[in-house]
Amino acid sequence: MDFSLSEERKMLQETVGRFFENNYKDIKKRGEYLKMTDGFSREFWKESSNLGVINGLVSPAFGGLGGSGEDICIIFELVGKSLCIEPFLSSGLLSSTILSSLNNPKTDLINQIIEGKLLMSFAHMEMNNRYEDHFIETKAKLEKETWKLNGSKSFVINGDSADKVIISARIEGKVNDKKGIGLFLVDNNNINNRPYNTIDGYRSTEMSFENINGELLCKDNQALKCIIKTNSAGALALSAEAVGIMQVCFDLTLDYLKTRKQFGKSIGAFQSIQHRMVDMMLEIEQVRSAVMLASSTFESNPTIRDKNVSAAKNLVGRVGKLIAEESIQLHGGIAMTWEYSVAHYAKRLIMIDHLMGDADYHRDRFKLLSSI
Amino acid sequence: MNFEYSEKDENFRIEVREWLKATLPHYLKEKVKKYQRLTKEDYELFMNNLSKKGWLAWHWPEEYGGTGWNAIEKHIFEEEIVKASAPRIVPFGVNMLGPVLIEFGSEEQKNYYLPRILNNEDWWAQGYSEPGAGSDLASLKTTAIDKGDHYLVNGQKTWTTLGHHADMIFCLVKTDLNIKPQLGISFLLIDMKSPGVEVKPIITLDGEHEVNEVWFTDVKVPKKNLVGKENEGWTYAKYLLTFERTGIAGVPNSKSALNHLKMVSRKSMKNGKPLIDDPIFSSEVAELEIDLLAMEIFNLRTVSAAAEGKAPGMESSLLKIKGTLVRQKTTELLRKALGPQALPYLPEQFDEGWNEMPIGPEYAGPIAKQYFNMRKISIYGGSNEIQKNIVAKASFGL
Ligand SMILES: Cc1cc2nc3c(=O)[nH]c(=O)nc-3n(C[C@H](O)[C@H](O)[C@H](O)COP(=O)(O)OP(=O)(O)OC[C@H]3O[C@@H](n4cnc5c(N)ncnc54)[C@H](O)[C@@H]3O)c2cc1C
Repeated sequence: MDFSLSEERKMLQETVGRFFENNYKDIKKRGEYLKMTDGFSREFWKESSNLGVINGLVSPAFGGLGGSGEDICIIFELVGKSLCIEPFLSSGLLSSTILSSLNNPKTDLINQIIEGKLLMSFAHMEMNNRYEDHFIETKAKLEKETWKLNGSKSFVINGDSADKVIISARIEGKVNDKKGIGLFLVDNNNINNRPYNTIDGYRSTEMSFENINGELLCKDNQALKCIIKTNSAGALALSAEAVGIMQVCFDLTLDYLKTRKQFGKSIGAFQSIQHRMVDMMLEIEQVRSAVMLASSTFESNPTIRDKNVSAAKNLVGRVGKLIAEESIQLHGGIAMTWEYSVAHYAKRLIMIDHLMGDADYHRDRFKLLSSI
Repeated sequence: MNFEYSEKDENFRIEVREWLKATLPHYLKEKVKKYQRLTKEDYELFMNNLSKKGWLAWHWPEEYGGTGWNAIEKHIFEEEIVKASAPRIVPFGVNMLGPVLIEFGSEEQKNYYLPRILNNEDWWAQGYSEPGAGSDLASLKTTAIDKGDHYLVNGQKTWTTLGHHADMIFCLVKTDLNIKPQLGISFLLIDMKSPGVEVKPIITLDGEHEVNEVWFTDVKVPKKNLVGKENEGWTYAKYLLTFERTGIAGVPNSKSALNHLKMVSRKSMKNGKPLIDDPIFSSEVAELEIDLLAMEIFNLRTVSAAAEGKAPGMESSLLKIKGTLVRQKTTELLRKALGPQALPYLPEQFDEGWNEMPIGPEYAGPIAKQYFNMRKISIYGGSNEIQKNIVAKASFGL
């Protein structure tokens, strides 16, 4: 076993880390980016592309320079540390994962994503879908050689600014069937978007569409496999993001405990507070370990991949709540303010449990995959 | 022991319920239900109604305009106003300052301020905390210097809840800088319209304006606004805090949140079935209900004991801790119940008269926001850690 990063990955970590930090120094910056038309900074996205960050999310087989579980985790941990709101997840990871998993991979589109020229989103969730891979109400039907899509998609992160959207739709069968699903490529101009911000400061959108044209990317077993893999990639990335956030929450809290004085000493001097910091520290190490395992088995067979991703994401949900709540509580009133960054980290950390499967979902999936 | 409500109690419940039904306007009920932003006028409307009915100062002694209700009736009343979706009674005047004035105020102060509180004429704010004095309240720095017929007040208060509406603020100030901190504190009533008072908003993590900074620069405060004796304010301050804490247990609020949680988990779907059918989730709801059931009795035991006239003691600290944890748990399970529906956040949804299509079910809108906002209740009113220190110190003899 080897628990250390290779030299190249360390370099990636350093350059990307420095770049993110420089652009997101002040939590106010994030608010300004969110207010922009697209809900993020196009300029920052373009620079990320120039620096090779998006490249790092894609395998060399499709024109990228990374794409392994480890690469994904390095980049998303840094996304978490700076609370970046650019479409690293929707375009950079989820869309490119689907495009590269097809029988005929769409390398041209992947390359446009890498170059920062094309934005894409994966529209899978629906209002009544609670993270399931195959619970799909949106319909697809073949009409004179063209596929027509009808329905609506929910909580599509950065979906409003996407040029193209990948939509999961039901070709046949009942809403919860594993068979009969297709993935379709759609031009976002044909979709009605209702964009909004999320409570953790991201841009998201509700999509609805009637009889729009879609290009079939894959269907049935291949489509389901593709959805599962993509959702696992997303859950892994969010878990790594959470590790970055937890570390920042811990560091900010420890810093504050050292400087804030009450009763004539720093509040960190009280032993009851120290014990809680130790609890936080050990739980973060637990999460970090589970995420490392999940990242190292991400290229394994789907069962091992998904089982370890579920373990990581379940822990992220449970520990994320602890870290978010304790960071606020140990800070006292100051953490309740918009002005101070810890609140924004805490909100994102909590809401990560509402994306790509919550702790309950992943506990259930872990049970299934490990035949408990 | 008898845990049943008597017929008299039930009749009282009906009386309160009917009165609320008759007097609480529909629009206000709707705003409260939808967690929309309440204006100063919204709060005042309800409090004025209570005042006219003689129910605003329901827990004061009868001779000062209280109701003479027993502990059970008080409990029923609190429960019914929450059930009816009435705004909360702004506590600073009637629940906090009132009892202090009754116990320690001069005749002149009682004659002037108590009727004004009863008639809801002044909006009061609580000026305890300062940037450097939170848990360690006694380390406060705002000074009041004796200038003969008045004090000259300088300093800054913070976290002042709804201070932007306030006409008056009761403050802890330093009147003697040369003795042990607790001994040099006085309790002063300050008119917010005095020259030199400035209020600045603090925006909280949910994007709302609920708390403020209040700055005092050479503010002249007449000597007659001193409550009790100079340098003895600490005693009054602590007396007030025990009243602040019992309310914070929030049993009625948690009960109504639990009902809301059950409704939401019947409507939320998991794999095509109602979430409440999920054995793990429903077990969490059940355990929350068990905690709440026990806490309601714990609370009633405590208020009944306190009804003998004593200010509630250590139990109020225990109740504050448990009460806040249970209430926070209700907001957590509500958030969990929503799944991805917790994500969208439309700030305009909380404005009166908003009538666009919500995203997802209408009840989803406020839930995540409420979860984050409720982090405050284990911080204020004396943080839960400080309550534990108080209990350990007072009862273990270690
Ligand atoms: C939304 C909101 C509304 C408020 N409204 C008002 C108001 O209207 N009027 C008013 O006067 N105040 C108000 N407060 C202030 C509130 O009372 C203080 O926030 C509270 O007393 C804690 O002080 P602090 O925030 O400075 O935290 P600190 O005292 O700095 O505490 C930080 C952390 O250290 C812990 N800690 C401190 N000392 C110890 C110790 N000895 N042992 C173990 N742990 C310790 C605390 O529990 C906390 O977790 C409000 C606060 C909030 C958040």
